[in-house]
Amino acid sequence: MSTATGNAEHVGQDRIDWASRSMPVLSTVAKRLADGGALVGKTVGISLVLEPKTANLALALRDAGANLRVHCWSSSTDDEVADALRAQGIAVFARRDADAAENLALAREFLDYDLDIIADDGADIIRLAHKEFPDLVKRLIGASEETTSGVRPLQMMHNDGALRLPVIAVNDAAAKYLFDNIYGTGQSCVMAFLDISNLQLAGRHVGVVGYGWVGMGVARHAAALGARVVVSEVDPVKALRAAHDGYEVASLTESADRTEVVFACTGIAGSVTAEHVERLPEGANLCTAGGGSFELPMDYLAGLGTARSVRRAVTAYTNKAGRTVHVIADGDCVNCSAGEGNPIEVMDLSLSLQALAINRLAVEALNWPPGLYPVSEELEHDVARIRLQHLGASLEPVTDDLRAAMRSW
Amino acid sequence: MTARITDGGAPTAQDGVAREGAARIEWVRRHSPVLDGYVRRAVSDGALAGKRIAVVIHLEAKTAFLATVLAESGAQVIAAGSNPRTTSADVVAALRDRGITVVADAGGDQASWEHELRAAADLEPEYIIDDGAELTMRTAEHRPDVFGRLQGVSEETTTGTTRLRAMAAAGHLPFPALTANDARCKHLFDNKYGTGQTTLQAVLRLTNRQIAGARVVVVGYGFVGRGIAEYARAMGARTFVTEVDPVRALEAHMDGHTVGSASEVFPHGTIIVTATGGMRAIGATDIPRLRDDVVLANAGHHDLEIDVTALAHASSSIRESRPGVTSYRLGTKELHVLAGGALVNIAGGSGHPIEIMDLTFSVQGLGIHHLASSLLPAGVHVIPAQVDDSIARAKLASYGVRLDGVRDDQRDDHTTRIERSTPA
Repeated sequence: MSTATGNAEHVGQDRIDWASRSMPVLSTVAKRLADGGALVGKTVGISLVLEPKTANLALALRDAGANLRVHCWSSSTDDEVADALRAQGIAVFARRDADAAENLALAREFLDYDLDIIADDGADIIRLAHKEFPDLVKRLIGASEETTSGVRPLQMMHNDGALRLPVIAVNDAAAKYLFDNIYGTGQSCVMAFLDISNLQLAGRHVGVVGYGWVGMGVARHAAALGARVVVSEVDPVKALRAAHDGYEVASLTESADRTEVVFACTGIAGSVTAEHVERLPEGANLCTAGGGSFELPMDYLAGLGTARSVRRAVTAYTNKAGRTVHVIADGDCVNCSAGEGNPIEVMDLSLSLQALAINRLAVEALNWPPGLYPVSEELEHDVARIRLQHLGASLEPVTDDLRAAMRSW
Repeated sequence: MTARITDGGAPTAQDGVAREGAARIEWVRRHSPVLDGYVRRAVSDGALAGKRIAVVIHLEAKTAFLATVLAESGAQVIAAGSNPRTTSADVVAALRDRGITVVADAGGDQASWEHELRAAADLEPEYIIDDGAELTMRTAEHRPDVFGRLQGVSEETTTGTTRLRAMAAAGHLPFPALTANDARCKHLFDNKYGTGQTTLQAVLRLTNRQIAGARVVVVGYGFVGRGIAEYARAMGARTFVTEVDPVRALEAHMDGHTVGSASEVFPHGTIIVTATGGMRAIGATDIPRLRDDVVLANAGHHDLEIDVTALAHASSSIRESRPGVTSYRLGTKELHVLAGGALVNIAGGSGHPIEIMDLTFSVQGLGIHHLASSLLPAGVHVIPAQVDDSIARAKLASYGVRLDGVRDDQRDDHTTRIERSTPA
């Protein structure tokens, strides 16, 4: 895919425009936000995967009157898009080639400012602000969190009394996790693995570790392409669900020796262990879907001292058993670091919820106590309704009889 | 054990390119158990020793591995590309590094490609592994003497097979030719699973759009069309098929797709994929029926399955709205064509999966070996069924799958039964 005709910034803007065509919900929401005026003069810091869809969220917030700052970690940064946003006058703190130290410096620079609201992905920025920018945390109206991997530690922080901000858990909206995680992350992680490897899924043994929404999506898309999926899960109800969806369910320890592709879909550190890696067959592939490289035993792999790059985004290691293990995209979430992230249509839903959550923080949250807050059901229904309208679908009307029946007891 | 490819002191840029190519060929070898095992052993019996074999297929890592296996069996391999746009620079460098003659270079155009094919003919091959019979036809024109001495051709595609059959019918085929496409280990897998998976991959990658909930129209329900429709539906798309052959259309209906005439199904499509192998599957008269924002992609052999000429003629403006996506403005509508209407999985993707090409190239490798070790008469032949079966057996063995044979008591000996039940 290298038929670029212009410079990076121009291609970046073209890609932002392309995404915009398939984001009818965001454009409707953007108009409402601009009319409402709640974001005028507010400074909003966005730390989401930096690619064409989130660029549209940034532009929508900017058009609603917000002052924008955009941050992203290097592995999820698309430089073309970053340049296009800079050309629009937005402050961007992200570079694809930033190393670990530079990444941290960029994040600190992003936070060293009078922000009012933060939109975070993985709760990294919220945690960094709590550690290093206490004055900013005091000043902030609140934050929104995009992912399961971020909501979990924020809930833990809150349980320990350490969270000092109200945070809207965008991830926990049904209009997000039922779509973004299953159809979006599922499709894009499976396809990114295929694009990177040039391999085939038909007939291949695929291990899906974790059967949450992302695991469900990865399993579904892999099976659709002919893979034999084995699900590993610690939660018995989720495991039972996997069995009812037609997958073999087995612990990774049992199934590792025949698993050719492992998708870690847990968002939990250390889900795949050194012992698992030692059992994998020759040439097995390890990727992370949804979370990050912390799900894989990267320290153990690095400690083997056998890392070698064999192909773009593929690093080979030789384990102690003498077998080759391929780690895709350095173990970072495969769809964002080696692909273009989730498909546009699904991010239209998630980012519209983000926009509405950010707006709600500006309107209502000034005196909210710290804690996790849901996206309101009303906003979720709004988002779903606009999307359905765009699909040309019609809803069954709730008649008086139906309403009465639903209320009967 | 693989060598550490990042090792080595102060390499030149060219060394680096060749090493990158070698690494990509090694990745292919690792996922090609049949070609690297069963086929490698079969063709190393001396039958190919010293034979000049031209390999004229998309010159990327998978083809390079086939060329390597043939060269290591003792053949003198001449590698050329079958399309000026698909030749890979690092693979060319790696092949030259291992002493294989390559007459192609990356970044060429139609004119340089014609020149390369003539150069391949001038190297006087005895056998050709051809794609679209491109080198075979040019050898006939450019070097009739070499053409007259050709010992055999193994052809990759349906299009090339049709061309070879036409030459045979006209009495102009003085050597035996094998049609790889007619082998079950090719068309049952390559066309359906390979093209099916990679076409969807390329469409989704070029557009970043979602398959779940999309309305996908497949034009043509051959092996390629079936693969695309099946995978698209399995990933959550609503699928529509239009087909001129009544038996295939009936099959599509019973497979659960919505079947109808082009004028009925095109207005539904948010993604339309052509897979007919013919021309103008989406032609001038179809254009008014396409919906705004539709994505058009081609999975068939011809670059003109989507009539981009007619589309350009009908449009008020044309722009590249994203790499690989050309957008045509027609009144208030905008229609998007992927990869300029060329084969989307090759021109806009990374080609077929390696495991599939392991089968296809095993057919080719054993095909050339069969031509060199049997005395076939001139004409177009199909690879023998036992060779086809042996490839499937080797692939199954690589998966650790065991097969039963048929026991005597399992045979339905209907002649005996009929004799018993029919009074004398």
